[in-house]
Amino acid sequence: MAHSTADAAVAGHAHDHHDHAHDDHAHAAPSGFMRWLTTTNHKDIGTMYLWFSLTMFFVGGVLALGIRAELFKPGLQLWHPEFFNQLTTMHGLIMVFGAIMPAFVGFANWLVPLQIGAPDMAFARMNNWSFWLLPPAATLLVVSFFVPGGATAAGWTLYAPLTTQMGPGMDLAIFALHILGASSIMGSINIVVTILNMRAPGMTLMKMPMFVWTWLITAYLLIAVMPVLAGAITMTLTDRHFGTAFFNAAGGGDPVMFQHVFWFFGHPEVYIMILPAFGIVSHVIPAFARKPLFGYSSMVYATSSIAILSFIVWAHHMFVVGMPAAGVLFFMYATVLIAVPTGVKVFNWLATMWRGSMTFETPMLFAVGFLFVFTMGGFTGLICAIAPIDLQIQDTYYVVAHFHYVLVAGSLFAMFSGAYFWLPKWTGHMYDETLGKWHFWLSIIFFNVTFFPMHFLGLAGMPRRIPDYNIQFADFNMLATIGAFGFGLSQLVFLYTVLKCIRGGEKATAQVWEGAEGLEWTLSSPPPYHSFEVPPQVK
Amino acid sequence: MIARDKSQASLLQVFKAVLWSFLGIRRRAEHEADAIRLRLPQVVAVGIMCAALFVFTLIFVVHLVITRATT
Ligand SMILES: [Cu+2]
Repeated sequence: MAHSTADAAVAGHAHDHHDHAHDDHAHAAPSGFMRWLTTTNHKDIGTMYLWFSLTMFFVGGVLALGIRAELFKPGLQLWHPEFFNQLTTMHGLIMVFGAIMPAFVGFANWLVPLQIGAPDMAFARMNNWSFWLLPPAATLLVVSFFVPGGATAAGWTLYAPLTTQMGPGMDLAIFALHILGASSIMGSINIVVTILNMRAPGMTLMKMPMFVWTWLITAYLLIAVMPVLAGAITMTLTDRHFGTAFFNAAGGGDPVMFQHVFWFFGHPEVYIMILPAFGIVSHVIPAFARKPLFGYSSMVYATSSIAILSFIVWAHHMFVVGMPAAGVLFFMYATVLIAVPTGVKVFNWLATMWRGSMTFETPMLFAVGFLFVFTMGGFTGLICAIAPIDLQIQDTYYVVAHFHYVLVAGSLFAMFSGAYFWLPKWTGHMYDETLGKWHFWLSIIFFNVTFFPMHFLGLAGMPRRIPDYNIQFADFNMLATIGAFGFGLSQLVFLYTVLKCIRGGEKATAQVWEGAEGLEWTLSSPPPYHSFEVPPQVK
Repeated sequence: MIARDKSQASLLQVFKAVLWSFLGIRRRAEHEADAIRLRLPQVVAVGIMCAALFVFTLIFVVHLVITRATT
């Protein structure tokens, strides 16, 4: 504990320093909307990222409820099939690019400087620009519903030849993805440079908090694959408007090539959406088990090796498309092997909890929930990876169940865990623990009610992305729809809890959680607007 | 080039660290030694080499399986 008191002393000093250093130009700081538009402060930008992604989460959620409402009963009730396809496509695009990815960047903006003892992000103005690219992109996506032909209905994977046949909504989606990609790349460069250059003295790479490590690796993945996506959608754009035929079979192009290029981006993207979640959980579990993370270094190594392996498994999404038997075997073996480092992580979290003195506040509930349910998603992933099985379940609801177990129970639950964990730090108030627990239990129950039956539907052969289904699928679909509405409404509890926490509540101490460790807990709650202007000493 | 001193890892040690990391496991004492003697560029270079080696091994195994199945 002597260690953290020393840090607190330094942090206190940094605060004093801020008081006089910044009064000089404080009068020039704009207020109201201009404050947020012009801010270069990592905390402001982190907050904006988090609110933006929460908004997009609700937009994408409404689209999902549109899907589930149509699927409540067999037959077509609410939407034309064309519009149903737009719903599935835009739900995917908005959740992946508008909700999950920006949310993790928001966490990074808030936490990376605080956890490494840096005063701000390395490129503060570029940070502002990466955020303010997002609202125009989101607007393009939402507006595309109202152009002739509606939004793109090619699926979030944007496969040719569908993409070459869509209306102008496709062009808007392509432009939006370009902008979002540019934002992600800038955000990643910022994060990499901040982590590599701005760590407090004494914070060696192997002393960095796990969240910082996972984001460092995620940022490299993003820099590697976002240009690949940009290239693929640019080729789609020129196919559509400038007479090229990259993916247009009629002109000698190859639609299957699009799939290869897309999934070379798409599989690392899966890890982009889950590695920061691993980072968050690696903070929450030790804090509430009151034990240091078991096998810190093996966590770092496992994360790196997952990142490297993620580049050589992409064609497991394409077993049904057709490829030589050697290709099928290669991607099957590689995919199964990537489960090894992932399993190591799950083992490490379990070992961290082993004989710990655990308490189950909301962050820990979500972390343990994550562990259970994400592991299930991992196992169904392994099942999908076995090529002969995949031939049966490709494009069925089994796959939909699998990746929602990974992305909702994985990424989203980890984000909720992190949000409750750091909310007191961010706002200076404790959130309402009762409401938080309600949010958790409602979420995990309704999540399973929604998605667990989809395994059965998929195994029974119900295809995804189709607005109608045969009568034998009716019961499970009705159950899933009830679950989905329950899940969606439960998220309003989260919104209310966050708003309530911002407006007031029991004052949070600097430490907040007795078992929490790291530089961010040495700062007051909320931290001063400019923190760590004098770098803390890390021993 | 920095002069080679005692604290720097041999190629074999770098390989060992990287191979363990593919499994995702490392003993604490060895990790602490790694932290002192390994340098980042070395690890990245050996990491890429090992990834390539991993790919070739997989291709080799696949080749074995395919030729067994077709003869
Ligand atoms: Cu994949």
